[in-house]
Amino acid sequence: MEKSVIVKNLTKRYKLYKNNSERLKDIFLPKNYGEPFFALKEVSFEAEKGDVIGFVGVNGSGKSTLSNIIAGIVPQTSGKVEIDGQASLIAVSAGVNGELTGRENIELKCLMLGFTKQQIKELEPEIIEFSELGKFIDQPVKSYSSGMKSRLGFAISVHTDPDVLIIDEALSVGDKAFAEKCLEKMNEFKQRGKTMFFVSHSIGQMKQFCEKGIWLEHGEVKMIGSIQEVMPAYEKFLADYKKMTPKEKKEFQASGLKGRSDPAFVGKV
Amino acid sequence: MKSMFKVIKEQIDNFHLIQRLSMYELKSSNRNNYLGILWEFINPAIQIAIYWFVFGFVQERDTVLGKHGDIPFFVWMLSGILIWFFVYPAITQGSKSIYTRLRMVSRMNFPLSAIPSYVILSLLYPQLLLMGIIMIIFQFIGYPISIYYLQIPYFLFAAIIFLFALALITTTISTIVRDFQMLLVSLMRVLLYITPILWPAGRFSDSSLGKIFDYVMLLNPLYYLVEGYRYALLGEGWFITAHPTITIYFWGLVLLLLSVGSYMHVKFRRHFIDFL
Repeated sequence: MEKSVIVKNLTKRYKLYKNNSERLKDIFLPKNYGEPFFALKEVSFEAEKGDVIGFVGVNGSGKSTLSNIIAGIVPQTSGKVEIDGQASLIAVSAGVNGELTGRENIELKCLMLGFTKQQIKELEPEIIEFSELGKFIDQPVKSYSSGMKSRLGFAISVHTDPDVLIIDEALSVGDKAFAEKCLEKMNEFKQRGKTMFFVSHSIGQMKQFCEKGIWLEHGEVKMIGSIQEVMPAYEKFLADYKKMTPKEKKEFQASGLKGRSDPAFVGKV
Repeated sequence: MKSMFKVIKEQIDNFHLIQRLSMYELKSSNRNNYLGILWEFINPAIQIAIYWFVFGFVQERDTVLGKHGDIPFFVWMLSGILIWFFVYPAITQGSKSIYTRLRMVSRMNFPLSAIPSYVILSLLYPQLLLMGIIMIIFQFIGYPISIYYLQIPYFLFAAIIFLFALALITTTISTIVRDFQMLLVSLMRVLLYITPILWPAGRFSDSSLGKIFDYVMLLNPLYYLVEGYRYALLGEGWFITAHPTITIYFWGLVLLLLSVGSYMHVKFRRHFIDFL
């Protein structure tokens, strides 16, 4: 099988600044300021064409950072991401301009992706129909509900025909009927050999749709494998996590945090 | 230097996209107003009226001495202020162009350096329309079309390159330090008065402080553009041959701004998103 996405030793370091002057000093002075925080630590995996991969993990485990880096929105600190083709991210309210109307957003996005006027004219009705926004398409996006925003984002992204599609929680705000429709569209993509990444807290959707799973914990890959292997392990962890006493939970989080601002690791990147 | 060629190449490669996006920008910026594109004329008209009232009427300024005799103050001001209605929005809107659009464009495959250029280009269309109106007015008040109009495309080109070079610097700074945008808007108000738009350079040259002021006016690159427009529209002569030193100074400054701006832009653009 052909590889479509190769992620190697991907690390993302954010810096936590106490105040704005620290941030400025860090830009202009050679000395380091601010406390490092690793959102991702040495994450590596490969995806083949037609793969549907789910990212699971508790809040703050690095799922969204990883999807943003794959989509090319956020630059990584070190490591490599190789993508064969164009990646597109769908997240709630990401990449739409609130001041413009839905229709203008469609036009602008398609223009920026390099579509011609003629192509946009052909695509527009399809996108509007898929989004089911009806007469709201001519209202500014800032007045949309979160479900409407994600419907618009999803409709635009699937119609611009990306090679790699990353869906970050976008389906969890839509209603069931729309989610079904999206899943159907994604199945069509799967058959056409496109790679998809799926971030969701809905275990049902994950099992229904994904083939492989990557479980992130504290910014590191905890487990990688087929969805039949990863999901039960993750579910078991969740059940255990729920049972923990508040003190144990705190300790679990603290151990993670300690690893993510580890000074010994700072020198390596 | 290397980054300068890179940025210029990006502009050429994406020229069609820049053009289409600028049309789109123009359309959408006036869409929420009832009067739409008419505001591109109402705004300048109100400003011109106020400046005329304050500097022409209250200060009783009737004429300004030109190359071929006296020019009525209103005509003199109109020919100079025209380009201000291009430069002012291009600098203030150009500077915030990247950080206001970054979220939208960061994963598209076109370079960030195309954003300030399409924003600047979108402001060129109202400038051309306004210029047309002023030219028509001039036909009827004794300043008819002349061979010197040929200079206008050159000065428009010079203005666009200058504004783009400046925008590369201002977008980088204002994305990293958002306060810069505030400072810039304030500085632009000052800039209007150290450019020979509302009063001619050399007006205060009898005092020593006035001489310094004149010198500052000459260092301002807008001096070149404003006076160039004036030479063209009023038929004063060929500006480049009349003032070769200022021409060399202007292009030297543009080259400097462009190379510094490109260097800053290329160095920081990957990290712009981290500053949002």
